[in-house]
Amino acid sequence: MTGEVIFETQGITKHFGGLAAVDNVNMKIYRGEILGLIGPNGAGKTTFVNVITGMLPPTRGRVFFKGRDITGWPAYKIGRIGIARTFQIVKPFRGMTVRENVAVGAMFGHKGGERTAQEALEKADEVLEFVEMAHLRNHFADQLTLAYLKRLELAKALAMEPELLFLDEVMAGLNTREIEEAMDLIRKINASGVTLLIIEHVMKAIAGVTQRVFVLNFGTELAQGTPEEVLNDPRVIKAYLGEKFVERQRRLLHQKSSTTNA
Amino acid sequence: MTEKQKGPMTLSRFDKLASNRQRLLLVGVFGFIVVLFVFPLIASGFWMRTLTLLFLLAAMAQGWNFIGGYTGYAAFGNVAFFGIGAYGTALSMLRLHFPFLPALLVGGAAAMAFAVVIGLPVLRLKGHYFAIATVALATALGEVADFWTDFTGGAAGLTLPFFRPISLSNYFFYYLALLLVLLGLGLTYLIMNRKLGYSWVAIREDEDAAKMMGINTTWAKVVAFALSALMAGLAGGIYAYWNTFVLAEEVFKIEYTLQMILATVLGGPGTIFGPFIGAFMYYILITLLVFFLPVGQLHETILGTIIILVMVFTPQGIMDFLSGRKKLTLSSLLENIRMHRV
Repeated sequence: MTGEVIFETQGITKHFGGLAAVDNVNMKIYRGEILGLIGPNGAGKTTFVNVITGMLPPTRGRVFFKGRDITGWPAYKIGRIGIARTFQIVKPFRGMTVRENVAVGAMFGHKGGERTAQEALEKADEVLEFVEMAHLRNHFADQLTLAYLKRLELAKALAMEPELLFLDEVMAGLNTREIEEAMDLIRKINASGVTLLIIEHVMKAIAGVTQRVFVLNFGTELAQGTPEEVLNDPRVIKAYLGEKFVERQRRLLHQKSSTTNA
Repeated sequence: MTEKQKGPMTLSRFDKLASNRQRLLLVGVFGFIVVLFVFPLIASGFWMRTLTLLFLLAAMAQGWNFIGGYTGYAAFGNVAFFGIGAYGTALSMLRLHFPFLPALLVGGAAAMAFAVVIGLPVLRLKGHYFAIATVALATALGEVADFWTDFTGGAAGLTLPFFRPISLSNYFFYYLALLLVLLGLGLTYLIMNRKLGYSWVAIREDEDAAKMMGINTTWAKVVAFALSALMAGLAGGIYAYWNTFVLAEEVFKIEYTLQMILATVLGGPGTIFGPFIGAFMYYILITLLVFFLPVGQLHETILGTIIILVMVFTPQGIMDFLSGRKKLTLSSLLENIRMHRV
């Protein structure tokens, strides 16, 4: 992979007491790509995103965005320089309408400084059109279904006009059709010039939209590569499905090959 | 696409109802304010003084609404700012020989400055911790005012000159307090249509999400706290001169904090007119209670019961129904219980 590195972490480490939730992670994200971040439950994916977006201070390590050291910056500053994220557990502003929710992103995000509240509301209409939620703009956020709440998370982040967007499990809990729609939307966002890091458990989505995948296990890097390489990597399969599964699969393969031989 | 158009619930008709209702409400409130402006022409001194007190309460409630209603921080010590405003105004008049109006501004500014200094550390706390810290603060300040005899006059209090001419005194304080209420309404309206207002509500609904979306939450919270202090401080300053006497145990009364919270919650926290309407509701409630139950202790018990019922059934205040967001039916009352259950 070549091209401009838009985002980089060097030795990012986060300890909770004696536990290293994230340990010495070096990650590069290239401008324009969709990078997948996968790993079993508890691998430290969300903690990693929390650290690099300023929600939690890192124990060690440095974070660079477009060559600038942003380690330890408060979350709101990181949001203003062109990095946005969604939350795995959705965080809508329930007392606001969908339109107002999205407008907040347009008010305070990357280009928020140039906008009045009124202009931000107009920008929100644009974004809602883009994510096909315009018909829901006057609903209160607490009236939405989970699929729409996930999409609202996306719309709020997009309204910040980020250059780099972290999506934390936007597809968890969605049905097959909704996952297809979400994948289309992610491609559309990427095509509009946004670089993406997506955390996802839905392997179909990882295989379908990412160009590169980074695997975390027990807080450290386990593997990196194209989706195909990574998803067929025995170490990754073992991390996800356990030693026994790999054993059994090997035995099955062995049996199959011996029967075909005979 | 057709399937999506339906959405989870169709709101358009309801929206129109709400906006008509809001227009009606706006006309109603402004008509009422006009009535309040001409009211002194027919009112007795007793009614004017009662309403002046009510206005001061409404103004403090409007201030509390900034931090408690819109930003969602349960400030339980706002009486501290009322006290600082009262002492700031009184001391400026007595020690610096300022005329009243500049002295009032000093009182308001002092309350605001104090809110900034205290807010920076205390607004890092959330929920109960913040509430307890603010209660402690108000109590501590009351003690300081009580015992710092050289500066505040201590238990002897501070005596201010009368407003002259005395015959106009009732009118002067009535209109001044009414202007303060209008300032509160105007300020609320202006802020809520600007980014600051959106950042307050975002913080109330989800502070982490607000931060991540680029909101400098510390700054927004401190501004909310400072403006709530300004309203209470100005109310305190007006009260001091009106009463011509400032005493710590009188201006740092925890009941004032409870009253401003009650007025806000009765009317509707996080709404423009809520605290103003709520102040009237509170006064009507206690007046009725005193009228029907002249016996001392019991009426506080009944007031408490009514407050509990209001909190359980309409935690969003009467504005929920007046604004048309909800209809006043048994089912909406029951839904409120479900929604706000912990």
